[in-house]
Amino acid sequence: MVLDLTMSMAILALMGALATIAGCLEDLESDVGSQSNPNSQVQLAPQMNFLHRIYNKAISGEPISNGLSAVTGGIVTTVLLNAKFFPLLAIVVGAFIAAIIYGIFATTSYAGRVASQTRFKQPLYMDIMRYTTPSIIAHNFVVCFCLVAIAYIQYAVLGYPFTIPFLALIWGISVGAIGSSVGDVHYGGEREFQNREFGCGLNTALSGRIVRRAESGLRNSIDNVWFCAKFGGPATGIGLGLTVFFSSWPTTIWGYTWTAIGVGVFIVAIMAVMNRLVEIQVKNAYGPYKEDKTEKEAGA
Amino acid sequence: MVAIDPTMLMNIFLIGISGTLICIAVHFIPVGGAPAAMAQATGIGTGTVELAAGSGLVGLITSSYMYAYEPQASMALVMAAGAMGSAIMLASTMLAGGLIYAYGVAVPFASAQVKKDPITGQRQDTYVSKGTQGQGIPTICFVSGVVGAAFGGAGGGLIYFVLMGIYSPLISASAAAVAGVFTMGVFYVNSVIPSYGVGGTIEGIHDPKFRRVVPKDTITSFVVSLICGLVAVLIAGGMV
Repeated sequence: MVLDLTMSMAILALMGALATIAGCLEDLESDVGSQSNPNSQVQLAPQMNFLHRIYNKAISGEPISNGLSAVTGGIVTTVLLNAKFFPLLAIVVGAFIAAIIYGIFATTSYAGRVASQTRFKQPLYMDIMRYTTPSIIAHNFVVCFCLVAIAYIQYAVLGYPFTIPFLALIWGISVGAIGSSVGDVHYGGEREFQNREFGCGLNTALSGRIVRRAESGLRNSIDNVWFCAKFGGPATGIGLGLTVFFSSWPTTIWGYTWTAIGVGVFIVAIMAVMNRLVEIQVKNAYGPYKEDKTEKEAGA
Repeated sequence: MVAIDPTMLMNIFLIGISGTLICIAVHFIPVGGAPAAMAQATGIGTGTVELAAGSGLVGLITSSYMYAYEPQASMALVMAAGAMGSAIMLASTMLAGGLIYAYGVAVPFASAQVKKDPITGQRQDTYVSKGTQGQGIPTICFVSGVVGAAFGGAGGGLIYFVLMGIYSPLISASAAAVAGVFTMGVFYVNSVIPSYGVGGTIEGIHDPKFRRVVPKDTITSFVVSLICGLVAVLIAGGMV
């Protein structure tokens, strides 16, 4: 469908907003359920005699589990749309069914993973399962809703050649890849190891020795998502929001031409410069490390 | 005996080339795996397959849209659209990830594979903290990742372009769906092949591992992609 420029920009802004929410909630869902790379430490902790009260699902890698969830929502939505349901209702019902299925995976995954750690005396806390699983389902519902809505807009309004389930699958895989790359670092690098020395990477010797005390009482996954919602989640949202917005913005403004491609290259160059500015700032703030300074002085 | 059509051979060859482009692309992307997620290694804190496929598939969306709305689009333009989408996805991811490393975890960006950054010339070894293999995404890793993502997106765009040329005359309505799913399959095949070579982590073009594994992985990928291309052409026989 060909839209005028104002309408195209409005649609693009809506997609960017949906993507930002989806990215943010996807990362928070992976924190509250503990998934992807940081979960390796949650899995390792009982083997180091660090028993904990953290949910441990890790259904699969984040892109695959989110792709599964999004494509499930997309398929249900497509079926309901064919049955002449109102689009918004179809997307809500599709996302809800996908989230429930995701919740089943989360529950069985948590029980299965903890059961496999019997020899390390890691208990399966039923209270953790009872009040964390609904939170996982709720987060996943919002993610699914946003991703299927983006897929619907691309298919029905913008006229993309792919179907709703396939577009939802692609965005599910992408949101998982971004969440795994961005927000999980905040959970794995900072929240799990708040006892490490500030301003340096995590020493390998600390692997598995995760922090188990919360701001009040014993730490659980709800405490983790509270912390990560302050930075990790929103940063992931920005990552996906920028992706969705800037991958379509050049062609929306400059059409399907080489000029649009050139603008895309320019955007990437600006991002590289911004990354360099951040690099300079953190290098000045935290390094070089003390022993290296001493060595330099000794050498001089 | 069935006559061998030169166009068919060219299509298989192009799919082989595009699969190889995706395979080479994976080596450029600075992937740190689980250690990077804990700020124990340089690069992006996730796996090779997840990241390469995630960025490449965004490129597939942009290239397919370009193909659908610019019927006169050349192969180069469709490939460039794919490259742009993938590069923007990976640049956004690395920028947002860099913000987390800098202000969420508080680590300076440092490569453990080179003493000085080949682009900025800044010392790296003095910023690598004790007990780690570097942290964050230094400039060389960022640039290498963007170039890699562009290769991957261009490869995806090329497969889609070739497959649409084969399937459109046969099944016009569903051609995009079949071509899209097949492209995704080729993406995953060629993202997995380099994973064995890089062994989970690679910093990018400056990593010594790059020169060591790229030739072997490229040949493997080309052969496997040719087989994928053959299958892509063969299944078109059932569409008539």
